[in-house]
Amino acid sequence: MKKIGIVGTGVMGETHAASWLETDAKLSHCSSGHFENAKQFAEKYSIEACESLDALIAAVDVVDICTPTHLHKDMVLKAAAAGKDIVCEKPLGLTVDECVTMIRACEDAGVKLFVAHVTRYFPEYVAAKANVAAGEVGKVAVTRFRRESFQPHNASDNWYVDLERSGGMLQDLMIHDFDLARWMAGDVIKVYAKSLVTSGEEVNFDHAMVILTHKNGAISHITGSWAQPKPRFRTSFEIAGDAGIIEWDSQEKAPLQVLMHQTEGGSGEVGLPGSPLLESPYTSQLKEFLANLESDATVRVDAVDALAAVQIARAAIESALTGKAVDVMAVEEVLK
Amino acid sequence: MKIGMMSFAHLHAEFYIPYLIHRPDVEFLGIADDNLGRGKLFADRYGVRLFDSYDALLKESPDGVVVCSENNRHRALVEMAASAGANVLSEKPLAVDMEDCRAMLDVCEKNDVRLMTAFPMRYDASLNEVKKMLDQDGLGKILAMVGENQGQVPSHHRNWFVDKQLAGGGAVLDHTVHLADIYRWYLGSEVTEVYAQANQIIQAETVDVETGGLLMLQFENGTMASIDCSWSRPVRYNTWGGLRIEIVGEKGVVDVDAFKANLDVHGGCAQPMRLHPCGSDSNGAMVEDFLKSIREDRDPKVSGFDGMKAFEIADAAYRSILEGQPVRI
Repeated sequence: MKKIGIVGTGVMGETHAASWLETDAKLSHCSSGHFENAKQFAEKYSIEACESLDALIAAVDVVDICTPTHLHKDMVLKAAAAGKDIVCEKPLGLTVDECVTMIRACEDAGVKLFVAHVTRYFPEYVAAKANVAAGEVGKVAVTRFRRESFQPHNASDNWYVDLERSGGMLQDLMIHDFDLARWMAGDVIKVYAKSLVTSGEEVNFDHAMVILTHKNGAISHITGSWAQPKPRFRTSFEIAGDAGIIEWDSQEKAPLQVLMHQTEGGSGEVGLPGSPLLESPYTSQLKEFLANLESDATVRVDAVDALAAVQIARAAIESALTGKAVDVMAVEEVLK
Repeated sequence: MKIGMMSFAHLHAEFYIPYLIHRPDVEFLGIADDNLGRGKLFADRYGVRLFDSYDALLKESPDGVVVCSENNRHRALVEMAASAGANVLSEKPLAVDMEDCRAMLDVCEKNDVRLMTAFPMRYDASLNEVKKMLDQDGLGKILAMVGENQGQVPSHHRNWFVDKQLAGGGAVLDHTVHLADIYRWYLGSEVTEVYAQANQIIQAETVDVETGGLLMLQFENGTMASIDCSWSRPVRYNTWGGLRIEIVGEKGVVDVDAFKANLDVHGGCAQPMRLHPCGSDSNGAMVEDFLKSIREDRDPKVSGFDGMKAFEIADAAYRSILEGQPVRI
């Protein structure tokens, strides 16, 4: 049984821990930048808290990195050097160079690197991909993807909104839809973006619109928002092709609505989608990674996809800062 | 008040005519059309007089005319009408180049008649509710607008819509102008920069204009806005298309979907399901404003200048598509 160690005990650490418990692997260790947090987390899941990342890496078979983005690279390199397989939260790295370094290190060390692009496991996108692959919409022409929430807040350290540590909303949130648009419509060659935080507006939340041009001629519009009043978390997409169209909107298709009288507190730290499912997409994702480790079964998203998504996000940030459309290099070229 | 209609090339003529005939305050003169067969078809359908030329219609001294020709013929018809002293309601887009737009504005000014652009969405009940809210500073500063105005490829209505010369362009011209006009109206600000991408994957073989398009606009006051103008709704879609805007302001967010008031009709027709509109009809309110502007000798809510500014944004989008970078207006 694979022993799993979670690095980082925040929101995603909790989410992954809950999902690992649903798999055949054994969640055994955790670590955190603050040992006190690790001890609390360890107690909650009846696992062992490690005082250092090195200790955790030594104790487990799979290192699951759920830390802020700017910490990913060094942690991945350490785990790879120790010959351990790796699960890493999205975005894989802060920059394209970081991602390339990580991918090469894992290749050289002969370890696997899974990147948790969990939206590829959400049933609405799985179903859409199946329809696109089956030719229901024909050749994809115009797609739209939307992901909107309130501004994430982390009382101790709001790294989500820090461009230097997360890439901001364009990278932390919109990377999901950059990845999904590329999954549905193919490689991206050009990006143009506008965002509030780079526009000079005096706002304390971001909202951005991005136009992608795909290699095959398709075009995509991506909306990302942290400008929504609580408790909204909304996603939607449409994929229009020369034979048909697929549309989905979480607001229109929610099977469950619960309305409560206002109480103190309210919504959590980060908006997360909440459709009732028999198995969480986070669990489906970890199960697929595990199956690959054990029997080399197919994984729907690999580290190169994760790199391509970071490429698009960085191009979007550059475009938003410069006001110019930015060309995106073929991912194979980047890895050469 | 005497009203006539010049050309039934644009299918919207059929939307407007019911509001002009059979009413006591309007003497509906009739229809003139350079395509006599088309003119006869609609004159017969609505039981109105068919003139054998535009001149013949204009000799009756109409107080106002509605121009629903192909886009590239708007200028010629507006010039004729204005010279005959008729106020004009012209179908959108106002024209197919800036020179034509300016000429149309000039000729109307010179002849002291009013030129109105047919932007019915300005009269939409939901969009007006939003306008009221914005005017009362209900959202604070408007930071971003995400707009969609997709539709079906209109060639199944009239073939000239997909003829580059007659229409002046495809989806980018046809569907940019509505949202561009609403944005200008909401913000009271003009566009300074436009980025656009377009393609022709949908109906690649059957038409000679772009069918997919996305625009990003920068307004002078700082607001950023996007437009999806694609003809991306399939032929067997449950409705023609729609118009939606998400408005992000300092104080909150507004989602408006102008055509959401619908019945779901699962009937015996070929489509599996069809949406039957049950909201207010903005076409009627627009025609009413045109008639009132003549009767009361005042400006209509939408001007020819508005039509020109909306066209200018679509025109800039075509330049951006060629250059692959944002362009200034």
